[in-house]
Amino acid sequence: MIKTSELDPDFKYEIANEPGGENIKKCFNCTGCTVGCPVTEIDGAYNPRKILRKALLGMRNEVLTDDSLWLCASCYICYERCPQNVKITEVMGAIRAIAQREAKAGKIKLNNPKPVFDNLFIDSVKSNGKWYEAGVSGTFMLKTKGLGGLIGYAPMGMELFKKGKLGIMPHKIKGTKEIKRIFEEVEKK
Amino acid sequence: MKLAYYPGCTLHGTAREYDASTKAVCKAANVELVEIEDWNCCGALEAIFDKELSMGLSARNNMKAQKTGLDLVIPCSICSHNLSRADSAMKNDNVFREKIERALGEKYEGVKIKHLLDVMVNDVGVDALAKKFIKQLKGIKAVPYYGCLLVRPSEVSKFDNPENPQSLDNLIKATGAECLPFTQKTRCCGGNLLMSKQDYAFILTKKLFDEAKSAGANCIVVACPMCHMLLDGQQAMVGKAHNAVIDMPVLYFTQLIGLAMGLSEKELELDKNMVTTTKLIDSIGKEEKKTEAKIETKAEAAE
Repeated sequence: MIKTSELDPDFKYEIANEPGGENIKKCFNCTGCTVGCPVTEIDGAYNPRKILRKALLGMRNEVLTDDSLWLCASCYICYERCPQNVKITEVMGAIRAIAQREAKAGKIKLNNPKPVFDNLFIDSVKSNGKWYEAGVSGTFMLKTKGLGGLIGYAPMGMELFKKGKLGIMPHKIKGTKEIKRIFEEVEKK
Repeated sequence: MKLAYYPGCTLHGTAREYDASTKAVCKAANVELVEIEDWNCCGALEAIFDKELSMGLSARNNMKAQKTGLDLVIPCSICSHNLSRADSAMKNDNVFREKIERALGEKYEGVKIKHLLDVMVNDVGVDALAKKFIKQLKGIKAVPYYGCLLVRPSEVSKFDNPENPQSLDNLIKATGAECLPFTQKTRCCGGNLLMSKQDYAFILTKKLFDEAKSAGANCIVVACPMCHMLLDGQQAMVGKAHNAVIDMPVLYFTQLIGLAMGLSEKELELDKNMVTTTKLIDSIGKEEKKTEAKIETKAEAAE
């Protein structure tokens, strides 16, 4: 049951104000996004139509803490086919951005490993200008799966290393100051 | 033809054979590549949902490319997507452009960005390339795999049909290899879920193998390092997870056309693919010989 007293009617505007979320209000819930989604095909719990509908109704907490939010594979099929040009892939991004901010502020808890990986990746780009594959993957495995996970990842890492495909050390670009300034500018609201 | 070149992080790492084969093939096709200076990561799929950050990181590379005065070519579908959408945001969104110009202390005019497949098929041209093909790749039965960001969204990637693209098909046919119909040509490989939801990523990848096999393919041809990471790099793991022997070589399209150009396996770094390509390479020309042998025996029998 949906309790209207618990709805946040401003949620859709909050999403629309986030880069990528601008077109959410155009959605008329035709389900085109969901019928073609390769992830929905293997797991019905991921249902982009439901996420959009709930967001438009103002079910803020339910949407932001929905674990399936992190299952979108960014394949852009829904984005391509949407008759209303909602830009669903980017709307998902806008909702994820809000969820990440709420989690950082300690208001909600995210349990999916996806934001953990994304943040490690982005941090490594922030400090090096390029992503540090061995470091990020290793840290992620250790953080989310413990020592066993790290050890499980090692044979793949070794294979890649033997082929000359994996560097041990991070590669730093010269313009890291410019990268920092880009981060500062886009973080300003 | 002279172009600015943005390899992107993977081409200097897990996709080094794509970098090597791109350079070798471009050289053979008289396309000169000038790598842009001190380029940075585009944010890949990890920042793709942080739209302004992803476009901001990408825009720095566009600024660098702009300085060369050349059009920019990118072999990676993710980088190509990110840099292209950054270019259009820099042109159309004044607030965003001002932020990035402030961060970098430079003005942005714009740069023409193309995926390497687009350059090869539409600028160099299939016919011109075909003239450089000295070896018919008979025996290779390929399915073309475009994946997601190479052709979608079509407002960013404008060079082919987003539902049923043909450019890679045409290129494969020009090499003399057989190009088989592939129902999964634009279905997702699950790349973005590899780290966070590996079992789902592997289900998506396994489907591609199943369909490729039922089409009768002996190799998959790709134009994206992320697709290659899943199909080639993770193939053993996908097989293990699904209790199956997959044994399907996965070539970058540059490796395929490089073979047709008569370039060496070493130049194309075919030994860097995780799934061995030896059997596939050995099969080139074999089928033809077999048919010839059959005809001979028939002729002998008639005598």
